[in-house]
Amino acid sequence: MASKARTIASTRSSDIWWGDRTGLAEAVRKVWVVTGLTLRYLLGTRRIIAMALLSAVPLILAVGLAAARVASFDVLQLFQAVMVPLFLQVVLIFVTLVNATSLIREEIDDNTLPFLLTRPISKPAIATYKYLGYLAAVLILLVPPLVVAYGVTEAYGGLSFTTDLDVLGGFLLVTVLGSAAYGGLFLFISVLVRKPLAVGLLIGFVWESIVGSIPGDVPKLSVIHYLRTILKGTITVSPLAGYRTDLSVATAVGILIAFSIAMVILTIAVFQQMEFRQKA
Amino acid sequence: MTGVVEAAGISKWYGEVLGLNGFSASFGPGITGLVGPNGAGKSTLFKLLIGQLHPDQGTLRLLGENPWNNVPVKRRLGYCPEHNTLYGWLTGQQFVEALLRLDGMPRSQAEKAAEDALKLVGLSSAAQRPTRTYSRGMRQRAKLAQALAHRPEILILDEPLSGADPLARVQILRTISEFAKAGGHVLMSTHVLYEIERVTNNIVLINNGKAIASGDIRSIRALIDEHPHAVRLETPQPRQLAQALARMDHIVSLEIPEDEALLVRTRKPDAFYRELPAIVADTRLEVRGLESPDDSLDAVFRYLVG
Repeated sequence: MASKARTIASTRSSDIWWGDRTGLAEAVRKVWVVTGLTLRYLLGTRRIIAMALLSAVPLILAVGLAAARVASFDVLQLFQAVMVPLFLQVVLIFVTLVNATSLIREEIDDNTLPFLLTRPISKPAIATYKYLGYLAAVLILLVPPLVVAYGVTEAYGGLSFTTDLDVLGGFLLVTVLGSAAYGGLFLFISVLVRKPLAVGLLIGFVWESIVGSIPGDVPKLSVIHYLRTILKGTITVSPLAGYRTDLSVATAVGILIAFSIAMVILTIAVFQQMEFRQKA
Repeated sequence: MTGVVEAAGISKWYGEVLGLNGFSASFGPGITGLVGPNGAGKSTLFKLLIGQLHPDQGTLRLLGENPWNNVPVKRRLGYCPEHNTLYGWLTGQQFVEALLRLDGMPRSQAEKAAEDALKLVGLSSAAQRPTRTYSRGMRQRAKLAQALAHRPEILILDEPLSGADPLARVQILRTISEFAKAGGHVLMSTHVLYEIERVTNNIVLINNGKAIASGDIRSIRALIDEHPHAVRLETPQPRQLAQALARMDHIVSLEIPEDEALLVRTRKPDAFYRELPAIVADTRLEVRGLESPDDSLDAVFRYLVG
């Protein structure tokens, strides 16, 4: 009797163990497939040409200035004078906007979403894995040109790669956190409205541009305020030395991470209750 | 409730537009055809069944379960949507394989199952081509392959023959029949009664969001035969095809509405669909696709609903 009980117990624990392992392997497969499909869509279709060109603006600028042999061209001028308005306020916002709004909305518009929704994967998982795929895609687009542009600039000035690492580090940090925050925001907008690009353009290029000049605490209602705070605090001779902020870098980083997570959770909550009426 | 699908008083509104209006029906095992004109509510019912829509009223059960946001029941169903958009940047093999991996299959198993499914629908030779290069018939078959590759208990097929060429139709109908013979359940919609007749006698007629008749197809057919049935053929040689089809004694009229289209009206649609593949093969004329406008079926529905 005891032996039989032991056998049953052993079998059960074995089932649970194998069940868990199978469940984990299956979950990993689903992450891999949805993230992989998202990456292939964002990086493997024709949209990549425009996105890659836009993402390469820092590099094009650095190489262009070097080729033109601009005498006073150095990392401070490129990264501090030009990159804040150009990269932070144009390239980053546009690349994240176009990519994040396409994740779910384009599948709805193209009528391909049923292929995912009729598989044993939950809507929250689809939204989360797509967001992870988006993050990987935009970082693949944005980070290499930034690093190479920095390298070209330092080399042109006869400096070693490590001379101004604080500048590179600051921009890499805002690229990662900005991609996460804007991506979450634009993804959320894409499940709320049918034309997310128009709403995103208004937020990205109107609100985020003017908010810095509004007095009081209003700038805290933008993503760019926290990105500027991070740049001001991480770069020794900051291009934003005169920027008004009462936040520390750690607080700004924490707020952006929390904001990104909140946006993804809100996206999941809306997506979970969304109905999909087939387009005519 | 014991049927494969049980619907009791289902209503669904899209704003002020009514998609389903107190739809009640029970679909048993085997193949069931859901027949109705465009806008009758077929796609709405299917979207409710796959959990993409939530009913505003009534109760719906698929394989005994509520399908809304029900992840486990999706292991048991295969769905073929009406629209022909696939992930065009994937090959047929990658498309089916990726979806199979979402069912939890390891890569090697998914690869094999995808190959088998594509072979079953006659797409092996195009498996390594991007799906954006597929014809409408090939897309229909690719959709069918992904729907049945994981061996579901039930296939839900929304207009699976729409736009398919004659050979693709034969292949698709054969695949559906074999799936049902192996014990699977099929729920298939069409607005062409004669297409479904080849695979089942069990139909449900739907119009204006309501089930208006169900049961044996033969009694419905008798009504429909009184009305000329329209078929639109896509062909680069409409005149030559018209000459070839004119030999059929049941043809009522032949029109060329566009440069690459032929509109045929026949009093014997079953004979027309039976004889067409042979005529196309004999004359070697190209037929890229065929569709049946609703007109003739609408007349029957108007008759049935008074």
